[in-house]
Amino acid sequence: MNWRYRFVLLFFIFLFLSVTVRLFYWQVVRAQELAELGQAQYGRVVRLNPTRGEIMTSDGYAIAANKLSYLAFANPKEVKNIGEEATLLTSLLGTDTASVGALLSLDKYWVPLKSHVSRQDKEKIEAAKIPGVGFQEQYIRFYPEASTGAKLLGFVGKDENGADKGYFGLEGYYDRQLRGKEGLAVQIHDAFGQPILAKMNDAVGKVDGRNLILHVDRTIQFLLDRDLKEGVDLYGAASGMAVVMDPKTGGILAMSSFPNFDPRDYQNYSDDLYRNPLITDTYEPGSTFKPLVMASAIDAGLVKADTKCSICAGPVTIGDYQIHTWNDKYSANESMTDVIVHSDNTGMVFAGRKLGLDRMLSYFEKFGIGDTTGIDLQGEEEASIRSRDSWYPIDVATATFGQGITVTPIELLTAFSAIANEGKRMEPHVVAAVETPEGERIEIPPKELSQPISPKAAKVMTEMMVTAVNNGEAKFARLKGYRIAGKTGTAQIPVAGHYDPTKTIASFVGFAPADDPKFLMLVVIERPTSSIYGAETAAPIFFRVAKNILMYYGIPPSE
Amino acid sequence: MKRPTYLIIFIFVTIMGLAIAQVSTANQISTTGAELGALQQQVDDYKRQNTILQEQLLEASSLTNIAGTAAQLGFVDAKTQISLTAPVPLALKQ
Repeated sequence: MNWRYRFVLLFFIFLFLSVTVRLFYWQVVRAQELAELGQAQYGRVVRLNPTRGEIMTSDGYAIAANKLSYLAFANPKEVKNIGEEATLLTSLLGTDTASVGALLSLDKYWVPLKSHVSRQDKEKIEAAKIPGVGFQEQYIRFYPEASTGAKLLGFVGKDENGADKGYFGLEGYYDRQLRGKEGLAVQIHDAFGQPILAKMNDAVGKVDGRNLILHVDRTIQFLLDRDLKEGVDLYGAASGMAVVMDPKTGGILAMSSFPNFDPRDYQNYSDDLYRNPLITDTYEPGSTFKPLVMASAIDAGLVKADTKCSICAGPVTIGDYQIHTWNDKYSANESMTDVIVHSDNTGMVFAGRKLGLDRMLSYFEKFGIGDTTGIDLQGEEEASIRSRDSWYPIDVATATFGQGITVTPIELLTAFSAIANEGKRMEPHVVAAVETPEGERIEIPPKELSQPISPKAAKVMTEMMVTAVNNGEAKFARLKGYRIAGKTGTAQIPVAGHYDPTKTIASFVGFAPADDPKFLMLVVIERPTSSIYGAETAAPIFFRVAKNILMYYGIPPSE
Repeated sequence: MKRPTYLIIFIFVTIMGLAIAQVSTANQISTTGAELGALQQQVDDYKRQNTILQEQLLEASSLTNIAGTAAQLGFVDAKTQISLTAPVPLALKQ
């Protein structure tokens, strides 16, 4: 009997252990899988797309928002007359009959017909009461100001997985902030498909995108866009670009370039139009570069505003080359102010010689020449300058008047912010603050990049630039009564190893009011045909925009 | 013998009471799913209307639209500007 007793005991122990092991397997090892299987029976996982953050101008206007649109779909099983319905849908959706007919002929329960259908088109289709056709809501990017500031904003396209992704400009640079995070939710239903109270939605991980609040002033952006476009057309230029900055903070108030594209319809434009030339294109700045070299020489104490030029009586010979003035007129013993006023190349060679190569390169570095500015836009290019060893005397001479050296427009503007801002060079920034979905506003403080010159040198240079506006080549276009500091530039374009005298990049850089600058602006016009000179093309555009900005700011004339 | 009878009656009444409460509660919450669905629908509708209204507002208040409408109505840019500045003193103290 004893062995039978033991056998039964062992049998039950084995049975008990087997059950325990099995329970462990199901409840621990495969617990997650079973939980998911169970969940699938009474609920379904729903992907929650985050709402993309809006981009707002400084007045709180959403210059990039989200718009409700629809995905039109059909259940081919419910379609009775494929030919008739395909024709009707084609006329209402604006697609081709063959593709709609092919989709309706598929042996499926759900086929997408067209995405981004407008509300008006949806209502028309619904009124037609086509069996088996339905709509699913979706959001698309919406730019209410159309192409205004398009290159600043960029656009929203799709990534390799078909999800929204920002490209170029702010949409590209701040894509991670704007797009937010996708979430998952379990929607639990009863037998009739109604959601159950106790287990509503377990939303996990969804975070809406953050809003961007810009320094950009919508009115200035509109005025700049309008006046620049008119100017490019008027002067028969190949292209044009302009940027307005608050020199005290580095905040970008407006940025524009033509030809342009419409971010709502970006697919129909050439890829070349997407990039922002103000941050990607390098060019020889010509005479707009002169104030930087002159300010360096003044700051170093090597020249003063009334220092006489001892080599300005005629062309300056350097090796096999001769440096001429732009109009071949020369004035012996002219002052440094006159050199800037008359944009005299020989006078700049004089200032450059005083400065010397090493000191000049040191100032270039402090002005940020040859470096990126760190602007918060996608695609900024670096216009590098040659190494110390490869500078020849002729290169030093031409660099003083902005030839043989390249910059990006934003780089030049940022360098000028030092002259307008008591010697302090500010980092250009488009976004002033980021707003979280909870409403928290995170301010982005202004950043000082460097102080290339002293406040005193900046003041002297400002006075020279005011005199240049009042008495220089562009004086016919100036705004009477206002003290505006500025400088024209006409740079020849290097073509196949030499400069083409008929093709120029005309520009004007300046700030106003000169004694307490509210804005700093650079206008660049490429290959104008009505006149090759900056004084006759870029300067009038500058003053037209400046006049509108001064009126908008309510700044009265001071003289 | 009396105590077990009371106990049985007490347990029976408790069970019956709880059963009735369960049926009553289940009956009450049986329609909340539908109500919740309707409320959710209402929230979605408001959100949708809000988005559409925002879109219309942005379109109507865009400077591009305002400038176009102003031009159609015959408005033109101001060519001159008048500034009112502080008056110059009649006699300056030298």
